[in-house]
Amino acid sequence: MQRILYLIQKEFRQIFRDRAMIAALFAVPFIQLVILGNAITTDVTNVDVMVSDLDRTPMSRHFAERFSTTEYFHLVLMEPDYNALRGHLDNGRAKLAIVIPPHFQRDVITGRTPVIQVLVDGIDGNSAGVALSYLARIAEEHQAQLLQTEPALGRSLREARIIRSEPRFWFNPELESEVYIIPGIVALILLIITVFLTSMGIVREKEIGTLEQLLVTPIRSTQLILGKIIPFSILGFVEITVAMGFIYLLFGIGVEGSLWLLFLESAIFILTTLGVGIFISTISETQQQALFVGWFFMIFAILLSGFFIPIANMPDVIQYLTYLNPLRYFMVILREIYLKGTPLHYLLPETIAMAAFGLMVFSAAVLRYRRIIK
Amino acid sequence: MSSEHLRFTGDPALPASEFAVSATDLTKRFGTFTAVDAISFTVRKGEIFGFLGANGAGKTTAIRMFCGLLPPTSGTANVAGYNIRTQSRYIKQTIGYMSQKFSLYEDLTVAQNIEFYGGIYGLTREHIARKTEQLLEELQLQDRRNKLTASLPLGWKQRLALSVSLLHDPSIIFLDEPTGGVDPISRRNFWRIIYEIAGSGKTVFVTTHYMDEAEYCNRLSIMYRGRIIEIGHPGELKERYGLDSMQDIFIHLVGGDIRPENTP
Repeated sequence: MQRILYLIQKEFRQIFRDRAMIAALFAVPFIQLVILGNAITTDVTNVDVMVSDLDRTPMSRHFAERFSTTEYFHLVLMEPDYNALRGHLDNGRAKLAIVIPPHFQRDVITGRTPVIQVLVDGIDGNSAGVALSYLARIAEEHQAQLLQTEPALGRSLREARIIRSEPRFWFNPELESEVYIIPGIVALILLIITVFLTSMGIVREKEIGTLEQLLVTPIRSTQLILGKIIPFSILGFVEITVAMGFIYLLFGIGVEGSLWLLFLESAIFILTTLGVGIFISTISETQQQALFVGWFFMIFAILLSGFFIPIANMPDVIQYLTYLNPLRYFMVILREIYLKGTPLHYLLPETIAMAAFGLMVFSAAVLRYRRIIK
Repeated sequence: MSSEHLRFTGDPALPASEFAVSATDLTKRFGTFTAVDAISFTVRKGEIFGFLGANGAGKTTAIRMFCGLLPPTSGTANVAGYNIRTQSRYIKQTIGYMSQKFSLYEDLTVAQNIEFYGGIYGLTREHIARKTEQLLEELQLQDRRNKLTASLPLGWKQRLALSVSLLHDPSIIFLDEPTGGVDPISRRNFWRIIYEIAGSGKTVFVTTHYMDEAEYCNRLSIMYRGRIIEIGHPGELKERYGLDSMQDIFIHLVGGDIRPENTP
């Protein structure tokens, strides 16, 4: 026990010796939050849109105007020629073309349903989908307004007994993606700190030869591992606490649920990442190698976690693959605790899966480490 | 050379506890390459015992086995009366080790390095504090105690590393090319300390490829391609071969073939 304390003391002395390291430890979460929180947003605003009004009636003009009064769309041009639309989409002048059909006004008044055609530049499929959903909302709102002003339409609608669906978004009423992204950043910070500091910390001692010096002392390999992972875990927890403070200050988002539960889940999560860090140290001779392998792991962990890309949007095979990614469970858990305040018993399946992975990865890594050292 | 000739077991009249190190057919193979090939020898307590050989001769591999860093492929050895296969934990408490790689933390201060290694060897805080003062005084580093180890000249770093490896008062100290890259004056100073250590009753086991250092040893073994090809007191060896210097003996024995080869 005393030996572990000396190891921890040494590790912290080395960390605090390095001013650049300290700066990085506190600047990194801040920068990540500001950049990832604001820039990497799946919200879509100011989509360039063109409208082709083939009806040219007061009602069609009124509908077209709606696109110049919302922040979601930016009306770049009115194109009376339907055949020219394709060209504008091709050369990128607009991402979206809305075609109001001839007889739009007449059809509305007589209670027939006019069909509005939408042409989408689908290169960025995600944004296109989001833009389409905004468009649907605008059409719906417009419809609701028409109900009040056009009695004929109202009559026909009532006769048709249309039930309008009206989705309501809880927890993130504005459907802002920052709110969704930000708890994920807490997970990323923890992932980065524990994987990279652990693996590089061990490999660094290999490089400079101090590991060999430690191995000729009576210290046990378990003590050696604990002496590495305890300080880095503490650092990870300090780091996410700082990050949560920044999140509150910058975005006004606080933790809805229990902070203790959040820390407990984090502790379960880092079993995996510490394990990965130890494993990387056993297969790397230099810090560069460790960095490379760690990076490789991190990219897959993040891409398959639902951080950027919703898992439901992935192909089936890849979706199954995500079940092997502990970060996937931690993302769900963090978002649930952070945004909804979900208690532990609703998070049990994810927690158990994460704990199982953690124990497996961690013990395998420690066994391998001890074997390598012997 | 017959294998009979290679058997240099020490004086059989001495009880086992008289030996600081004894090896019997100690072998280490890495795949098909034999780094250490059935070496047998003994080192008496209080002796300065040298391992002379070119790079890749197997010196470091042998020393790593004695320190419990590497398990032997076959054969066995005792260090301080403990078996290297089964009792490496006891060995580690009894030996000091200083490798050719500088093994202190450059980003810790002189005093912090002493404190850390003292703690790792399980010394009490008071013991560490006392040792620290004693060491700093011996090395005349009192005014540098809070300076980063990185700022010390190489010769001092090595003396500090040696002192740190003696913190827990080991009975045997293994030095693996301790003077690599050090200027001749620092090397001479270093050897003066080695004599002091041996004078206090400790056994010093040192590897080197410097011929002048070989002369300083009480007893010397010459390693070549994983085997011990000669062993004895430097004076005795000179007499046996009728040559004036260790350099000549070495060249005579390995036939000028001192290519660094098969470095594991």
